[in-house]
Amino acid sequence: MLQAHSFLWNYLWVAPNLLLLLFGILLAKSDKSRKFKAFLAFAFLSVIWELLAYLADVIPSVSATTFWRVIWVGLLVESPLKFLVIGEVFSHLLDPYPAIARLGKNLLSGFGTILILVAAVVAAFAHPDSRFDIIFNAHVVQQTVFFVETGLIVFLFGFAAYFHLAWDRLSFGILLGLGISSCVHLATWAIIANTNPMERVRTVFAFVNMGAYHISVVTWFYYLLVPGRVAIRPGSPPPADILAVWNRELERLLHQ
Amino acid sequence: MTLAIILVVCAVVTLILILRITVSRSLQLSKSDDSSPKIEPIDIEAFRNLIDAAESEHLYHRLPSGEFRRVQRGRLRAAAAYIRVAGRNATALVTIGQTALAAADPRTTEAAHQLINNGLLLRRNATLALLRVYVAMAWPQASLAASPVLNSYEHLSRSAMLLGRLQNPAVPVRISVRP
Repeated sequence: MLQAHSFLWNYLWVAPNLLLLLFGILLAKSDKSRKFKAFLAFAFLSVIWELLAYLADVIPSVSATTFWRVIWVGLLVESPLKFLVIGEVFSHLLDPYPAIARLGKNLLSGFGTILILVAAVVAAFAHPDSRFDIIFNAHVVQQTVFFVETGLIVFLFGFAAYFHLAWDRLSFGILLGLGISSCVHLATWAIIANTNPMERVRTVFAFVNMGAYHISVVTWFYYLLVPGRVAIRPGSPPPADILAVWNRELERLLHQ
Repeated sequence: MTLAIILVVCAVVTLILILRITVSRSLQLSKSDDSSPKIEPIDIEAFRNLIDAAESEHLYHRLPSGEFRRVQRGRLRAAAAYIRVAGRNATALVTIGQTALAAADPRTTEAAHQLINNGLLLRRNATLALLRVYVAMAWPQASLAASPVLNSYEHLSRSAMLLGRLQNPAVPVRISVRP
């Protein structure tokens, strides 16, 4: 079952992309389309790339070199788009909070720079596969991109949790889906780029990656289509005991 | 191989963290009705005294250097405890402000926005002040600039009072100024 070009293989490669295409169409038609331009671009271009790569894989006349060139083009287009999506989500997260917007952006830039430097060092230590440079370099670039992506996603979740910022539902879902996918991909590409595993193991990792991507797309669907629970009661006053404590504090503060 | 293991461990830990955040977020949503944030009292006068540069200067000249470092570290530890409480109070008020955002009254919404922003400023200042305290603990002669925490606390107090008044005029959220 876990073999290249099996039914499951074909399903896991094609189905999430068709679902993502449908997701993109639904999002484009909704009132949220203006808010998530980068994610829309990512969804459509990612689908085009994945389906082109799929065709390049299954059509016998396409050479292996051409297949890897398609992978490279996709990597060069998709990777910056993913960082734009993360920036877009962060911007939506900070929009209602001008008090910490500048701090957040500065911290994100600084942390991103550190992540890129660390990822470059990690890439320099990758175990080279001397047979095919085009493949080895693609693996290392994948590892680098997912390393930085995972780090930025952790930063966003950490920043929001530290300041108790309220997420809008779709932004949270997008970041969660990206997070799941990037963690799994980071782990598999790290093993592939650093240990040169056997072909059978690489195939299993391809299944794992495609499965994780499928989960991500389903997650995005869930957060787009299923309405969130209303967590707050409009106009509910703070509890009286809190106000009493605060009142005492105010009096003490002003009587200094 | 070692590098691969490190990266895999990082990825697994991150995945667990992300899933945990998701679960705790949905749990918070489901029990938001009965969970109310807590405010801890702060002795502002004692806090002001602890971060007073003149007081530190006075101690520096009065005490032998070894004794000064010991006393100053004790004062810094106490200041750090106050700053942590101020940060937690700020978070509690941010939560209250976010709850009030759903109100229909535009004045209440505006007050809630103000409270949230002041709360976040205090949280930010408290974090920076804590870092300075830790630096000063290693080097007790360093001056401790924690006054932004006090200033933010004052701003936050006004915002909290305004929101409290708007949301529930029956509850006496007012300041009894001495004549």
